[in-house]
Amino acid sequence: MPSLPIWQFDVPLLILVVLFAVVALSIRNLMGTAIVFGAYSFMMCLIWAGMGAVDVAFTEAAVGAGVSTVFIVSTIYNTSATMPPRPGGLPFKLFIGVVVTLTGVFLLSAIPDFPKWGEPNSPANATVAPYYISNTIADAHVPNIVTTVLADYRGFDTLLETTVVFIACIAIYSILRVDEARSKTEDSGPVDAEPHYDPSDSLIVRQASRFMVPFMQLFALYVIAHGHYSPGGGFQGGVILGASLILVAISFDLKFLLAQWREKQIMLMVAWGVFLYAVVGLGCVFMGGNYLDYGFLNPVLPGEQDMARSHGILLVEIGVGITVMFSMIGIHINLASNGHFDRGL
Amino acid sequence: MDILAGILISTGLIFFLGTTIGLLRFPDFYSRMHAAGKGDTLSTVVILLGCICLISTQGDLSWILGLKILLIINFIFIGSPTATHAMMDAGNKAGAKPWKKDAD
Repeated sequence: MPSLPIWQFDVPLLILVVLFAVVALSIRNLMGTAIVFGAYSFMMCLIWAGMGAVDVAFTEAAVGAGVSTVFIVSTIYNTSATMPPRPGGLPFKLFIGVVVTLTGVFLLSAIPDFPKWGEPNSPANATVAPYYISNTIADAHVPNIVTTVLADYRGFDTLLETTVVFIACIAIYSILRVDEARSKTEDSGPVDAEPHYDPSDSLIVRQASRFMVPFMQLFALYVIAHGHYSPGGGFQGGVILGASLILVAISFDLKFLLAQWREKQIMLMVAWGVFLYAVVGLGCVFMGGNYLDYGFLNPVLPGEQDMARSHGILLVEIGVGITVMFSMIGIHINLASNGHFDRGL
Repeated sequence: MDILAGILISTGLIFFLGTTIGLLRFPDFYSRMHAAGKGDTLSTVVILLGCICLISTQGDLSWILGLKILLIINFIFIGSPTATHAMMDAGNKAGAKPWKKDAD
């Protein structure tokens, strides 16, 4: 077993990450910045994979490099790729420089207080982590400890995280969605007058995505269902499911997607995911346990207490997956069509 | 098997080098995309084939891992040329002019 992290990989990757950050700030075209940020996310994903945090790396690859790049690009599509000139004269720049430098110094001064990477006596490694590592199989029959910690030991955190995704989706709806009946101002779609490329013109793109999308969705379901045994879970699988439908929306047409999932259905499904999670928790209360204590579900779910916990984890992961998938689709449609839900990227 | 893996992976790296040189040296958008699209796809596929050779000797279940890598190869083989096509088409519609020898 080689010692992790492998510094021969990590040092060049970290240098590249810093370089990408500098490049992203210095490029004057926002589309270029979006692409550089995608590359930045991929580098972070590689660093995390090198540290052994495969679940985090997976999430970063799906969310950071994949879907959020699409979100930024569709925002640029509806606004403009050119940056306005930066405001302020020399005193303003000096002030900004001092603030940024001071913040950096404060953050860096905290580094010596951190425990060393993998330090066995640090609080995180000395108290709860050994319990998780030695008991996850006996408690919940789940070999992937991350999944047990995420959905069982720390189930409340994940419930609230899912609620945060739900709230973020509602916030984006309430900011961007245009009420066609009430809005009097004439908004003629994209501000940019440049000739835009429409991928739905191309037969090759359509056929390729027609071939890829079912496999993407199959893989996403595998990621959700197999999250007990391998890296993955509701968040990653939900993002991949959402990305597959976003691919449909981009390569065919926004109308094509909206013909199958109407706006109300999308919003309802976002709420249903959180609801499923919360109901599984309530079910445990009715069975005589604590909230989200899946072991008490064993009269309903197959198997003994430990298998019931495993199945309970699967149920809440499905809830997380539904919420994340439909929030991604809802956010993309809002951003791409400027809140009109008719046409767009 | 390890020797075969080494040969395949180094072939892939040579193709990657060609891709990078082409990307930096070619005169216009279309020829650069040509270098990036073809070289990138082929070298990734060759490197992944090398990875299959590398893992094929490790354990009973390595064929499942090999199968997964084969599926990845399949999707790269479809996805990467499609992305190149979409970018070429977008460049064409945005009005990128092909390079001509006498014009420069």
